[in-house]
Amino acid sequence: MNKKKLATTMMAGALAVVVTACGGQATNGGANGTGGNSEPVDVEPAKVVEDTSPVTIQYWHSHAEAQMEGLNYMLEEFSKKYPHITVEAVFQGGYDDLHKKLQAAVAAKDVPAVTNVEVSSLPTFGESGVFADLTPWILRDQTPLDDFSEGMINSYAFNGKQYGFPLIVSTSVFVYNKTLLDELNVQPPQTWSEIDAFNEAVTLKENGQTTRYAFSVPGWDAWYFDPWMINGGGQILTDDQSASAVETPESMRYIENFYKWKTDGHMHIGYGKGASNTMRQMFLDGEIAMVQHTSANIKMYRENADFEIGVSFIPGDVTRISNIGGAGIAMMEGASELEKEAAWKFIEFMTSAEHNIKWAEAVGYLPTRKSAIESEEGKQYFERWPQYRAVLEHFDDVTPRLQHIAYPEFRSHYIEVMGELALNNVDPATLMPQAAEKINEVLADYE
Amino acid sequence: MRMSNKTNTKQAASVRTPASVRNWRTALEKWKDFLFAFPALALLAVFLYYPLGNSFYISFTNWNMTRPDKKFVGIDNYTYLLGHEDFYQSLKITFTYTIMDVVLTLVIGLLLALMFNVSSRLYAFMRGIIFMPYYISMVIAAMVFIWIYNGKYGLLNRVVSLFGLDPVEWLINSQTVLPALVVVSVWKGVGFAMILFIAGLRSIPSDYYEAAAIDGANRWMLFRYITLPLLSPMTLFLVITTFISSMQVFQSIDIMTNGGPLQSTNAIVYWIYTMAFSQFRTGRASALIMIFFVIILLLTALQWLISRKKVHYEG
Repeated sequence: MNKKKLATTMMAGALAVVVTACGGQATNGGANGTGGNSEPVDVEPAKVVEDTSPVTIQYWHSHAEAQMEGLNYMLEEFSKKYPHITVEAVFQGGYDDLHKKLQAAVAAKDVPAVTNVEVSSLPTFGESGVFADLTPWILRDQTPLDDFSEGMINSYAFNGKQYGFPLIVSTSVFVYNKTLLDELNVQPPQTWSEIDAFNEAVTLKENGQTTRYAFSVPGWDAWYFDPWMINGGGQILTDDQSASAVETPESMRYIENFYKWKTDGHMHIGYGKGASNTMRQMFLDGEIAMVQHTSANIKMYRENADFEIGVSFIPGDVTRISNIGGAGIAMMEGASELEKEAAWKFIEFMTSAEHNIKWAEAVGYLPTRKSAIESEEGKQYFERWPQYRAVLEHFDDVTPRLQHIAYPEFRSHYIEVMGELALNNVDPATLMPQAAEKINEVLADYE
Repeated sequence: MRMSNKTNTKQAASVRTPASVRNWRTALEKWKDFLFAFPALALLAVFLYYPLGNSFYISFTNWNMTRPDKKFVGIDNYTYLLGHEDFYQSLKITFTYTIMDVVLTLVIGLLLALMFNVSSRLYAFMRGIIFMPYYISMVIAAMVFIWIYNGKYGLLNRVVSLFGLDPVEWLINSQTVLPALVVVSVWKGVGFAMILFIAGLRSIPSDYYEAAAIDGANRWMLFRYITLPLLSPMTLFLVITTFISSMQVFQSIDIMTNGGPLQSTNAIVYWIYTMAFSQFRTGRASALIMIFFVIILLLTALQWLISRKKVHYEG
């Protein structure tokens, strides 16, 4: 072994500790969202490959039409840097469709080399061995994981393995009618204790009927209200992830508040098919003053509202976090070695600090790299898009969602409690214990 | 003389044909029918019988489609489903939808057939208009109906408000969502039923009506004792085809409700789909496919058996 190789190996060994400490943490969707029980894993760095024979890889993605300009730019830049690698980008529909096609591709043993993956499905695919662990390449190329937002990079690790990198990242934020709130001389609430005063100042009623809601929280997807549960001091599962915790007093605090605010006519909760469109339209029509929605929609709100738009991080209580959303980029375990090498180069390029701001601005999602945000280009970006500052200021408070392979199945049970509240104004205290029983049933079924 | 020579030559040739060739020809003759059917059977085997057999096998495993190993779990998937209230709830939703869909499609289809069974260009044009939704894709129809049913901005609530009634969240209300889906299906299928009923009506000889009229039958009696019985083969065909397609309702649910609100439109096929592809429980979903297959098979056989006594084939 020559000296250079020896030095590289030693450096890689040292870095292995850093990598396994940064990634690979299982989370229970609790207040200590990034806490976990990862064990350092002994991983050898990947071998240096100098083969530049032509290779074609497929990239299965969910980039909608509006993101294609950004993607095409990245593909062009990539082919300039690696002329021997051809990337065929294949649109596979939304995340659900993409996941179904991935399942079929794995069953047929004919997989693409690189794919998008929606963040909450990563554990299921990772646990099944569908995705390759990127750690060997991270060690070899010394990819600085600590340059990513901690929550964002951890979202793509599971059981001590880094299965992907964050690519199109969003989080839920409050988008508010700044013109209206300025007129009323109120600020969006930063803590739960400020919400009652906010409601009193903003809600408008005529003959006992609400004509303008103070705010709206989507009830159709737990991604929006899980952070409320966590911020109230609760958690979805117990610390050891063996049982439901949604029915505990701490976990119920948020939904009991929702029940009160909704019954008093201050709060709107969207639920059911089309609820997102309805909530958006009500906000644009001035019927709701502030809506919790994905940060990916900030651009859309700014372009469609005939008033000034403001953005605020969701209010906190015991803690103040919001969950990560969107999709990451991952390598398929079933790809050939040559394809994997090309796939790694593509993944690293797509998530590199160099193109991070350009990519984020083109697709309307959040930057992921600290060095990119602190760069001159990053500063200019925030001048053009001041609405994203609310997220930037809480960069490390954007935490992973609950990571559990049964989560995609059992979450429907407590989403239904929110649905009953939204549609029929049923007191959640009467339904949540039943939901917890059903969650426990699903968990037992997975053991 | 020349002819006789020819005949002799032929006979001689047949005598000289070796036994192996004769056997081969006999075998070919015997298997000829099968050989002609082979391409179609091969397609069915690849795309129907093999998947069916494989689904049956998967239904006894805990496979999740992405995991390479399939662990044999015996009849666990079946006992889980048959002992779970969600199964009966989903079955109830499917049957409620099917009964509403079959009854409305056939009754309205028959009424339209009776109204539009007139040979003129104007009526032909009107029949074309009624039939039109049939060839619109369900995906497009469902997208349009989402907007018609929208509780806040939808066309239907505009109409409802003209009568002084309160707006309804058609697709977000557990009471209205299933009928709302049935309306889309009936709107799409009623033209097809009408056309088939008209074909059935036109195949009834006019002599029967004339003879009955001479015997003093009124219009209702003509309909009750001649039209309905002689339409029964067509009715049976429509009942079975509409029944099977309604039991398998999927597209409209996928696009318009996603099984909601609160699982109120979680019909069996949609449940199979979410179980397999969202919850990654391919083994259990395969068991549900098998159970559902048997249910539809039994019910279709039952319809056929009952109808043997009730269907009248003319002549």
